[in-house]
Amino acid sequence: MSFVNETNILIGLICGSIPFIMGLRSRHFMPAVISLFLCAASALVLGIPGSFIALFLMVSLIFSYTYINEQDPFLSRKSIEEVEFNETNTEFVVRQMAGVGRNLRWLGKALWRNKSGFVGFLGLMFFLLMVTVGTRMVEYEGETQIQRRQPGANSLFQPPSDEFPLGLDGKGRDILSHVVHGGQTPILTSFQAGLFSTGLAITLGALAALVGGYIDVSLTALANLVLTIPSFPLLLVLASIFALNDNTIIAAVLASLTWPPLMRSIRAQVLSLKEREYVEAAFSLDLGLFHIITREVFPNLVSYIAINFIFSIRVAMYALVGLILLGMLTPREPDWGTMLWAAQSQGAFFNSDAVMLGIAPVVAIALFQLSLILFSRSLEEVFNPRLRSDV
Amino acid sequence: MIPPLIELNRVYRTFEKDGEVLPVLQDINLQVHPAEILCLVGESGCGKTTTGKIIAGFLDPSQGQVLISGKPQSAYRRSERSKLRRSMQIVHQDPFASLNPAHTIEQILSFPLRRHHMVNGRNELRRKIWELLTLVDLTPPGDIVNKYPHQLSGGQRQRVSIARALTVNPQLIIADEAVSMVDVSIRIGILKMLHRLREEFNLAIVFITHDLALAKYFAWEGRLAVMYLGRIVEIGRTQDIIQNPAHPYTRALLSAVPEADPYVTKKKEPMKLRSDNIPSLNNIPSGCAFNPRCPFYMPGTCDTVVPALSNVSQFGQKVACEPLRLRGELRLYET
Repeated sequence: MSFVNETNILIGLICGSIPFIMGLRSRHFMPAVISLFLCAASALVLGIPGSFIALFLMVSLIFSYTYINEQDPFLSRKSIEEVEFNETNTEFVVRQMAGVGRNLRWLGKALWRNKSGFVGFLGLMFFLLMVTVGTRMVEYEGETQIQRRQPGANSLFQPPSDEFPLGLDGKGRDILSHVVHGGQTPILTSFQAGLFSTGLAITLGALAALVGGYIDVSLTALANLVLTIPSFPLLLVLASIFALNDNTIIAAVLASLTWPPLMRSIRAQVLSLKEREYVEAAFSLDLGLFHIITREVFPNLVSYIAINFIFSIRVAMYALVGLILLGMLTPREPDWGTMLWAAQSQGAFFNSDAVMLGIAPVVAIALFQLSLILFSRSLEEVFNPRLRSDV
Repeated sequence: MIPPLIELNRVYRTFEKDGEVLPVLQDINLQVHPAEILCLVGESGCGKTTTGKIIAGFLDPSQGQVLISGKPQSAYRRSERSKLRRSMQIVHQDPFASLNPAHTIEQILSFPLRRHHMVNGRNELRRKIWELLTLVDLTPPGDIVNKYPHQLSGGQRQRVSIARALTVNPQLIIADEAVSMVDVSIRIGILKMLHRLREEFNLAIVFITHDLALAKYFAWEGRLAVMYLGRIVEIGRTQDIIQNPAHPYTRALLSAVPEADPYVTKKKEPMKLRSDNIPSLNNIPSGCAFNPRCPFYMPGTCDTVVPALSNVSQFGQKVACEPLRLRGELRLYET
């Protein structure tokens, strides 16, 4: 098959065989098979670096099965007189890797525990595969395919057929190829926008809560000010004045309008967290401000931040697609938004031959959003330490 | 002579609430000597926790001086100051809130140990963690180290937070209602452990409680300070105060302590106060703050003169009571 890079697959299989053999020798067959499969899969998707990361993670996974806690004197049920702590460096590395493996297993369990969250996770994996491997499987058609014109037809639109499962668009191109290739830009851009907006919100929110006083008042006022601006109309205005061509700039503009709600809740959370008694204890133990922010306050915010990150990706994608649909961004191909714009401007919704041009991107966007929402339900379980127990 | 670990000199502390200034502490004079037990007793809102926080250095006094080992804080260099702050550790009331839910017990104990280079290398770190857990009777330590705080019981958590306080080799532990949220059946065990740790490490303990029975048990060998509405009304050796309470408020408190023996409790006559209302901090009565409730009220004196602590009792404790100082005895107030 054309989309398989033989070298990558080979390296992935070689990497996978290491944890596979280790797993077989210790009679853990399921983890062994899973390791082999995941190494090959990550080699396929992420190439050679991916296969090495997978190798490390999978060997850790196997270690977490073979490395039995009772071997570690630290976790034994002995009394202090009976134990010796003389761990060598090799044992230390193995123990750390086993810890990584345990976390992996715990992550899998946490994802599996919430069934709707797991469906969302699978959906996201599907879209990840689509924009990485899928683009190699389906060839992109960018040029007008005039030769596909049916005799007597007055346009190049075609309803779904065996050859083209989603039909042809107004230029006679395969719609399926546009759905597959058109995901990359909106997903990447909205991901960037989510990253920027969350990062901005965390920085400003934490700054306002920790420094307080004048800075707090002015940052909160700024957030309130931005909140009152109707963001989508402003985006329309901005897009009509400036030529927003660069994806990163679009993401930054989207982020600059969506940070205030999260910033205000981060500020509130940090204000409450910094009064906790364990923070007071950390101050009295003189653990340092950096430690207190990163190790005492931040871990209790992670699940909250992660969920809001997911939501800001959602919002950004709607705004992005909306702008393209209204023709306020330069149409670029391939892109789900551009497909919608084309469907709307070419009257595809009134043409039964062409209706797939509108429906296909809508379904793709809706499924992606649904996956995000479902997945965000799992995040709470993944990051909440109170749900943690020994695996 | 060794100077006291910490000395509060005419300390006042006010808090502002809705534009009103509340005098939470007034004219507090206290010394904590090395390896002694000092117990602060009083009703809620009397300022015991604020006193504890001033001792621990979390709060600064509005007026007055805090001397650490005989010198004010400003006399120390920055690095020395952080060392001094570390030498005073606080054990909070609520063990559910004082341990970070995101970390395992191993992590909670290893942060201060690593930060202050108390150990060299991971093997020594692991041994130290085991030692600390053994010290606070959490055995076998191997069962505890990998757990998260929510997986432990209240008593176990309180022991962990005591172990955490011990990581930095403190000289003084401030136990702020440290056992009041722990199951009654476990209290004695934790108190006994604190006694043992005090002897082993020469720790001074400031024990803050509202429960006079606990204070009596815990500080029998030490000193007791009874607080009422931001002032110390009686201070001295616990044995003297318990056996011969001088201040009317202390007497009232002692007469209200239930005994384990129901027959004794039934026979016990609680002292009749003239009022059960505790005045609020924004409206503290003039003179002695206890005068509207005091059965030994002396008109013209108690409501005008703010009593100072003085040696009026033959048993050695200091008492802030004007009638006692003037007459040497208390007479019931007749209307």
